[in-house]
Amino acid sequence: MATVSFRKIEKAYGPVKVIHGIGFDIADGEFVVLVGPSGCGKSTLLRMLAGLEEITAGEILIDDKVVNDLESKDRDIAMVFQSYALYPHMTVRDNMAFSLKLRKADARLTAERVDNAARILNLGPLLDRFPKELSGGQRQRVAMGRAIVRDPKVFLFDEPLSNLDAKLRVAMRAEIKALHQRLKTTTVYVTHDQIEAMTMADRIVVMHDGIIEQIGTPLELYDHPGNLFVAQFIGSPSMNVFDGVLQREGAGATSTTAVSALGSLWPVAGLAGGSHGQKVHYGIRPGDLTLADAGIAAEVVVVEPTGAETELLLQIGSGATAQQLILVMHGRTNAQPGDTVHLAIDGAKAHVFDGQGGQRL
Amino acid sequence: MSRRLTLKKISLEAQLLLVGIPVLLWTLVPIYHMFLFAISERDTATSGRLWPKNPTLQNFEIVFQKKHFYLDHFWQQLFNSLWIAVAVGALTLFIATCAAFAISRLRVRGGRTVMNLALFTYFIPAAFLAVPMYKTMSNYGLLNNQWSLILAMVTIASPYCIWVLKQASDKLPLELDEAARMDGASPLQLFWLVYLPLMVPSLVAVGTYSLLLAWNEYLYAFLLLSNDKDVTLSVALGNFLSADDSPWELLMATGLIYAAPPAAIYYTFKRYMVGGLTAGAVKS
Repeated sequence: MATVSFRKIEKAYGPVKVIHGIGFDIADGEFVVLVGPSGCGKSTLLRMLAGLEEITAGEILIDDKVVNDLESKDRDIAMVFQSYALYPHMTVRDNMAFSLKLRKADARLTAERVDNAARILNLGPLLDRFPKELSGGQRQRVAMGRAIVRDPKVFLFDEPLSNLDAKLRVAMRAEIKALHQRLKTTTVYVTHDQIEAMTMADRIVVMHDGIIEQIGTPLELYDHPGNLFVAQFIGSPSMNVFDGVLQREGAGATSTTAVSALGSLWPVAGLAGGSHGQKVHYGIRPGDLTLADAGIAAEVVVVEPTGAETELLLQIGSGATAQQLILVMHGRTNAQPGDTVHLAIDGAKAHVFDGQGGQRL
Repeated sequence: MSRRLTLKKISLEAQLLLVGIPVLLWTLVPIYHMFLFAISERDTATSGRLWPKNPTLQNFEIVFQKKHFYLDHFWQQLFNSLWIAVAVGALTLFIATCAAFAISRLRVRGGRTVMNLALFTYFIPAAFLAVPMYKTMSNYGLLNNQWSLILAMVTIASPYCIWVLKQASDKLPLELDEAARMDGASPLQLFWLVYLPLMVPSLVAVGTYSLLLAWNEYLYAFLLLSNDKDVTLSVALGNFLSADDSPWELLMATGLIYAAPPAAIYYTFKRYMVGGLTAGAVKS
């Protein structure tokens, strides 16, 4: 159990700078997910915490102690790799006991810890098998077992589910989360999959091009994305965004705000910033669009029923100015491709971003 | 469809046999000839028959009991061959493994240069270097010492072995090293507990290669060693031909004995030889 702090972390490979001064704190027992598109520097940041990459500038602290110059093995952290990195010539038991063996731990204690970890992860019957005799999910569990046996201050996960098929990924996601709830060990988890981030994290750190775009709980990021990048990265299907101009009439409590775009006025509620006539990006999540008898007209292009939900691909306007929107509704619809539907929009659910920098207004 | 496939298969098989049978004969006829000589009596050895009239094992008895002038030191020379081959195999293995580990896994500075230099040594045929090697050994006062041959053979075998092992270890995933480092392994523990066990197939292949290279060596052995008690069996075999009436049947019997260990070793480790020596040869 430990806290982790990043202070103005920079990383450069020769002249190429990949991380530009990142700083944030992780509380004791917290599950933090670093998420971002590939090449954003999230894995590099994790590997610096692990001690597998040099830190170009800044400090990393574990339990308020600077660990920059500490070897990996002395940082008391355990890592689960994307490729599992199990030792192919050792049985599951030996794989899990390896770190304790290196520490010359008491044989009885080692056996106890391995058995305990095996029980937590249901690995009991597999202890005497070799990695090549295991399925992907089982290997993943062994890799986690190897980390648990260490009883480290911090768990690091580097895209641990990327090599699994979709179904198994969902199952392992729940398993990792349950494991964290049980062990309450501080965890840093790297993924490029925003669904993984949303479902597992206590807090998400969204990274992009070597900087932090936003830090927050999953729902904070979903409900109040700080900028256009986060808005479009978090959520699936991703947010509908299009360009418009801010219209503000009246002042004070009686003022009304809307964005004129695609030939209609799109309502906005509770917007503090922004001035009349400002160019903006208007965003609305697919689930926040609802069908109504009257409102903004749109043409149905594709209907995708999934049973519980139906996804509609809509188009507003035609030709070069046409804009496609996605709408997700509960239940089913009679709408057919080619039909015209009307959209009702709750202004409180709209997101407005500056047309220049993309910051939330 | 299946018929066509079968025809295609048969045609492929036929082509392989067409190449395979001549190659097999090409390889086996000399060995059969050697065997024929070895079980023939002295007078009938060159009779040209496909099977001797009175096959005999007497030649082997003469060899084993050293009952001929040329065979005075047979057992000693066989042992010399064995000792030198094993020493070369072990030393080369040690050097090549350490070099490959340092260059491929620890990423020491100058690793690339070492690899290029290793490759460069093969631009010059070993035979060209025989005289300089002789001079060098004489400078060190190692002439007529078996260590001169051992060192020379290690020099010749190492570069290739370093290349093979480096290629093979490049194929081990780097995450294994990182996982071991995080588990608390020092470089030496990484070497012993993770690297070596995973390299076994390549190590067997490379060890066998250098061992057989030393076992089969004639030129350097002939040059660097001259005392009858120090030379290897290959040199002793060469000495059979120094007389006008060489005892062919004894030469061939000794040769057959000399050829047996490499055949046995190769047969035992053939699984590793093919896989190990071609590891990293192509991008997989």
